[in-house]
Amino acid sequence: MDPGDDWLVESLRLYQDFYAFDLSGATRVLEWIDDKGVFVAGYESLKKNEILHLKLPLRLSVKENKGLFPERDFKVRHGGFSDRSIFDLKHVPHTRLLVTSGLPGCYLQVWQVAEDSDVIKAASTIAVHEKEESLWPRVAVFSTMAPGVLHGARLRSLQVVDLESRKTTYTSDVSDSEELSSLQVLDADTFAFCCASGRLGLVDTRQKWAPLENRSPGPGSGGERWCAEVGSWGQGPGPSIASLGSDGRLCLLDPRDLCHPVSSVQCPVSVPSPDPELLRVTWAPGLKSCLAISGFDGTVQVYDATSWDGTRSQVEPLFTHRGHIFLDGNGMDPAPLVTTHTWHPCRPRTLLSATNDASLHVWDWVDLRAPH
Amino acid sequence: MPEIRVTPLGAGQDVGRSCILVSIAGKNVMLDCGMHMGFNDDRRFPDFSYITQNGRLTDFLDCVIISHFHLDHCGALPYFSEMVGYDGPIYMTHPTQAICPILLEDYRKIAVDKKGEANFFTSQMIKDCMKKVVAVHLHQTVQVDDELEIKAYYAGHVLGAAMFQIKVGSESVVYTGDYNMTPDRHLGAAWIDKCRPNLLITESTYATTIRDSKRCRERDFLKKVHETVERGGKVLIPVFALGRAQELCILLETFWERMNLKVPIYFSTGLTEKANHYYKLFIPWTNQKIRKTFVQRNMFEFKHIKAFDRWGWGASAALTPHPVVFATPGMLHAGQSLQIFRKWAGNEKNMVIMPGYCVQGTVGHKILSGQRKLEMEGRQVLEVKMQVEYMSFSAHADAKGIMQLVGQAEPESVLLVHGEAKKMEFLKQKIEQELRVSCYMPANGETVTLPTSPSIPVGISLGLLKREMAQGLLPDAKKPRLLHGTLIMKDSNFRLVSSEQALKELGLAEHQLRFTCRVHLHDTRKEQETALRVYSHLKSILKDHCVQHLPDGSVTVESILIQAAAPSEDPGTKVLLVSWTYQDEELGSFLTSLLKKGRQLTQPPPLPSPSWTDLGLHFRTVGAVGEQTLQVPSLGTEALCHVPAQAAVSS
Repeated sequence: MDPGDDWLVESLRLYQDFYAFDLSGATRVLEWIDDKGVFVAGYESLKKNEILHLKLPLRLSVKENKGLFPERDFKVRHGGFSDRSIFDLKHVPHTRLLVTSGLPGCYLQVWQVAEDSDVIKAASTIAVHEKEESLWPRVAVFSTMAPGVLHGARLRSLQVVDLESRKTTYTSDVSDSEELSSLQVLDADTFAFCCASGRLGLVDTRQKWAPLENRSPGPGSGGERWCAEVGSWGQGPGPSIASLGSDGRLCLLDPRDLCHPVSSVQCPVSVPSPDPELLRVTWAPGLKSCLAISGFDGTVQVYDATSWDGTRSQVEPLFTHRGHIFLDGNGMDPAPLVTTHTWHPCRPRTLLSATNDASLHVWDWVDLRAPH
Repeated sequence: MPEIRVTPLGAGQDVGRSCILVSIAGKNVMLDCGMHMGFNDDRRFPDFSYITQNGRLTDFLDCVIISHFHLDHCGALPYFSEMVGYDGPIYMTHPTQAICPILLEDYRKIAVDKKGEANFFTSQMIKDCMKKVVAVHLHQTVQVDDELEIKAYYAGHVLGAAMFQIKVGSESVVYTGDYNMTPDRHLGAAWIDKCRPNLLITESTYATTIRDSKRCRERDFLKKVHETVERGGKVLIPVFALGRAQELCILLETFWERMNLKVPIYFSTGLTEKANHYYKLFIPWTNQKIRKTFVQRNMFEFKHIKAFDRWGWGASAALTPHPVVFATPGMLHAGQSLQIFRKWAGNEKNMVIMPGYCVQGTVGHKILSGQRKLEMEGRQVLEVKMQVEYMSFSAHADAKGIMQLVGQAEPESVLLVHGEAKKMEFLKQKIEQELRVSCYMPANGETVTLPTSPSIPVGISLGLLKREMAQGLLPDAKKPRLLHGTLIMKDSNFRLVSSEQALKELGLAEHQLRFTCRVHLHDTRKEQETALRVYSHLKSILKDHCVQHLPDGSVTVESILIQAAAPSEDPGTKVLLVSWTYQDEELGSFLTSLLKKGRQLTQPPPLPSPSWTDLGLHFRTVGAVGEQTLQVPSLGTEALCHVPAQAAVSS
């Protein structure tokens, strides 16, 4: 019979809840605005792309009487058009502004989400000094009294720009040309960077450039590409930085000693990743020591890193989301590739994942280890 | 100015009260006549006073069209036709005609019996209203009158739902009603051909949503049933006789084995009989799979779904402890489903799954609002401990579906009703950019006027066409050619013919209009010499024109004839008779002034082309029949106009 049907029956046991949507265009962006809405944005190069603010179905927000809410649809709350591809989108907290980055990478676009209508309009641009044909600057936002935009495509072009005055408030001021793969703001004065090579650093913006970093070539130095994410910052000791390589290696690091990973494991994924730029590793905001990774194929894998130490090398995922493979497309080539994923800020086991064939899933997986 | 006018009647932005007035080429059509389910007073009816302040609705409206049997599209129909007053035709599909009265009667019972409403339509009114119905088939062109025709297209959504094309001459409007672009398990998807209407009218209620996939909705239903059965509970699913019930039965049947349910699913016999009856009637309205199933005798020949009847209920239920039951009516307001509900409500392991909207006043509505203590007859209080699940299976088109349908029909413009313009600006931009059509979003009560340029087909006579073609190159889009002909309008027929043919058909003689002008010259020579000098003079100046000297002494410039004559009274004066046809006015009057000025060797000044009125030409009857004198004050001459005797020429 239909493998999709078979998987559907399987899914009754595997998921508490499961939603599948077809967007008008694939997205590489899933950015939360409060816990009820996400932004998605298209990344096609030859046509107009849409930026959408989607409100999650009410069922996902209510605490009681969930059964009385029949609506399972996303609502397009706001929408806008972009001529460029969008590879990164950040919402500026406490404002109605968005900052996006894409190709060509010589500027960042600032957008205004209208209050009295459903339109997202292009508002202004932020110039980027490093003008490269194929590199696009990574973006992160300091949500202070005066919001600042941290951006850069390479270490040497890293800077923080005050959104209102457009003055540069911080620069890396180095000549290092290493390519960046991720930027993350940790608090009002600190941010983390990860280079494609695996080099990691934590920067205090109150000082001149002097990051805490793992200078030596990354955990694996065979030309793999790396990305990283910092979890629960400032919430006690323990490894809070996860670093994922395109060869499937996953390293956990303690910020106090970036040079020596606490653990380094090999994830059972198909390597090499077809598009290492899509690699993503995230910490679960509601579950202790849980991580999710994607970017190798059409799956999202969830790991419990509680008992990982230096000794373990091979690990198995706690859960693998295969919905995109069975439900999307019609079994014809090419197989879908997950472009991004994110955790729901409040519901501990709910994730959103998107693929290159424009599907978007919201799924709440069952922890099969838990007592029934 | 030809135009199409659309006014959505009905208030509130939530779904309900679909009722749209369309004026197209002088015809007035009302689309749907829905009831707003949320209100208890007059607000639930569309505001019919919009249609016409005075005068009878029957005279004003050419017809009413109902898209499908849902109450928010037909609920106000008996009120409209019997209480407000309308006696004209009401068009709908056959299934809609069969099912509408059942739903209307059900609704009436609830309103009057349950809620004690006073000013409501009666059973007789429903019957009288339905007598005015004219049922139509899919893709059948129905002539409402000489000029107005309508055609129904398959809309999916529910049994009998249709989209309608309304056409007057070359202007047309398509109204979608509710439709679905993805097929169900028991219904197909909406489909329309590339009919290219001036306007496509569609609902925007779900236009700004992205729908969860059908598979996930089904999964949700299966999961609820599965979980309840696993923990030892019973599942009650109240349904209307048609539609949803089939859909869910087919779903459960498909997955029953895989899910290892091991429990029988019951379907009340009353339901099966009714459903079978309707499906037999309307088999072309269901999808392929159903039609195949129906080859077997019974629509409900399921492997795992059994029928139960009222009397055997108790016995069979005792044998199998965990049944899943489909029972009517759908809103739990009476009958079997309510009986079963009362029996099962007290056990928290049980579940009731409500698959659709419930009208206010019904038990279904109450429990969906969260009420857990219900007052039943005899002041008995029923405590509802069983789980209540509200599931939405109704299939509406979302943003993607709308874009698909618009892409199929290729309208010039799109009109979205039942939405707030401010909340749909992005959608409007998307439609306008991607599909290159104009998009309108009127508020309820607001009229949108679309100018149209209707094309009137004109037949061109073969003779005229051949003549034009013989003149040279064929015209193309970038180089249009001017064609002269006579337009004959007879009845609703338009023909373009040559003037000669027109005269022949009308039985009129052809008139040649020639003007003659006398120019007096001082010239003592003989007239032949005068003519020759005139010829050489003109030949030298008018290099672009064909100037000829004829053997009889006259000079021609194109078609203009100049003859020299000597009046007997004065040998020193010569008179030049200049004569031209009305087509050569410009050249004629130019020549005349040229000759008047005598021998001038300078180039002719650029002449503004004088029109008939410029020349101050008007007719005055002078002299005998056969001659009319044309006075040309500016030229200081009199022109003789030769007109055949019978013609009447007016100034």
